[in-house]
Amino acid sequence: MTYLSIETNQTLTKELEHKFVLDLEQNQNIVHKVCRIYTNNQDAHNDLFQEISIQLWKAYPKFRGESKFSTWMYRVALNTAITLYRKSKRSIKTQDFDSVLFKVESTDYDDIEEEQLKILYKTIHHLSDIEKALVFLYLEDKNYKEIAETMGITEVNARVKMNRVKNKLRNILNP
Amino acid sequence: MDQLELLKKDWKKQEGSLPKLSKEALSNLIHKKSSSIVKWIFIISVLELVVPQLAYLFIDYDETSDFTRELGLSNFFTIFSVIFYLVIFYFIFRFYKNYKTISANSNPKELMQNIIKTRKTVKYYIWFNLALVPILSIILLYKAFNSAEFLEKIPSDTNMIAVWLIALMFVGILVALVWLFYRLIYGILLNKLEHNYKELMSNGVE
Repeated sequence: MTYLSIETNQTLTKELEHKFVLDLEQNQNIVHKVCRIYTNNQDAHNDLFQEISIQLWKAYPKFRGESKFSTWMYRVALNTAITLYRKSKRSIKTQDFDSVLFKVESTDYDDIEEEQLKILYKTIHHLSDIEKALVFLYLEDKNYKEIAETMGITEVNARVKMNRVKNKLRNILNP
Repeated sequence: MDQLELLKKDWKKQEGSLPKLSKEALSNLIHKKSSSIVKWIFIISVLELVVPQLAYLFIDYDETSDFTRELGLSNFFTIFSVIFYLVIFYFIFRFYKNYKTISANSNPKELMQNIIKTRKTVKYYIWFNLALVPILSIILLYKAFNSAEFLEKIPSDTNMIAVWLIALMFVGILVALVWLFYRLIYGILLNKLEHNYKELMSNGVE
């Protein structure tokens, strides 16, 4: 009896894992993009990607499908990045900015725009963990309702915070 | 164009250059954590065996073998070395097996069982190494204290019990040091494994 239930349990976890890997594969772009915002070299990117995958897998049985899988993923991925970033804030800050990760295609922009993009990406890397999350959600074209849901704050609060960080970025480019 | 819009446009364009991992790679990724800890246990155990051997390159081997011969322990040391290396190689083999089974594993329940197994192996390994220190020291001390050379040098009214007590105290300190060394190296790895195990437990795998 116990043996049988263990067997079923194993099959269930196998099935769950199969489903999870499929979901993760289809939505892995989200995780990669979070890694791009929070890390600045390939090794750190891979580490964070793995950490987020593990956290997603850990939380997966609790995902009830109340929200879209991608929305849920945004939240778990950002939470992981934020907590991880907090833990190793200093080590990340001292790392050099790896320009390889953000290749600005020079053919499509003029020199001034290219320069501005470089400064913007550099500035983003010096933002706080929460500010990074906001910029990321802005770049992902999320509306304030989704941003509020993902970050666990009110819509009004999201709007205020977003404007603040946008102004911060604009001020750096146009002092 | 607003600079932030420009940024957004560039961000969208970068999507094409994002890495794409296969299902297999992703599946491996979520089980990698434990395997890397187990891999370290394996690597450290091999290093532990190799590093002292390198040290012997710089030690005058003839002198040490003369020393053991004087104490009449030559045969004992040869036999002891053979047994010692057999046991150590057995442990390294076990560590390697643990590493292999955990990395090839995809089932959380089996993973947990393997974590328990690995922790046990490491514990036995540490106990073996710890037990070795007092056993070897006492044999060496006994032989040394009873050697003609030693008895000639000390005054005849020396209290041998006091000498033994002091010697045993040093053995005790040595055992504590070795224990500390293992606690430090393997303790960190074992704690990480335990943490992983607890995470799996909280994940509903029982």
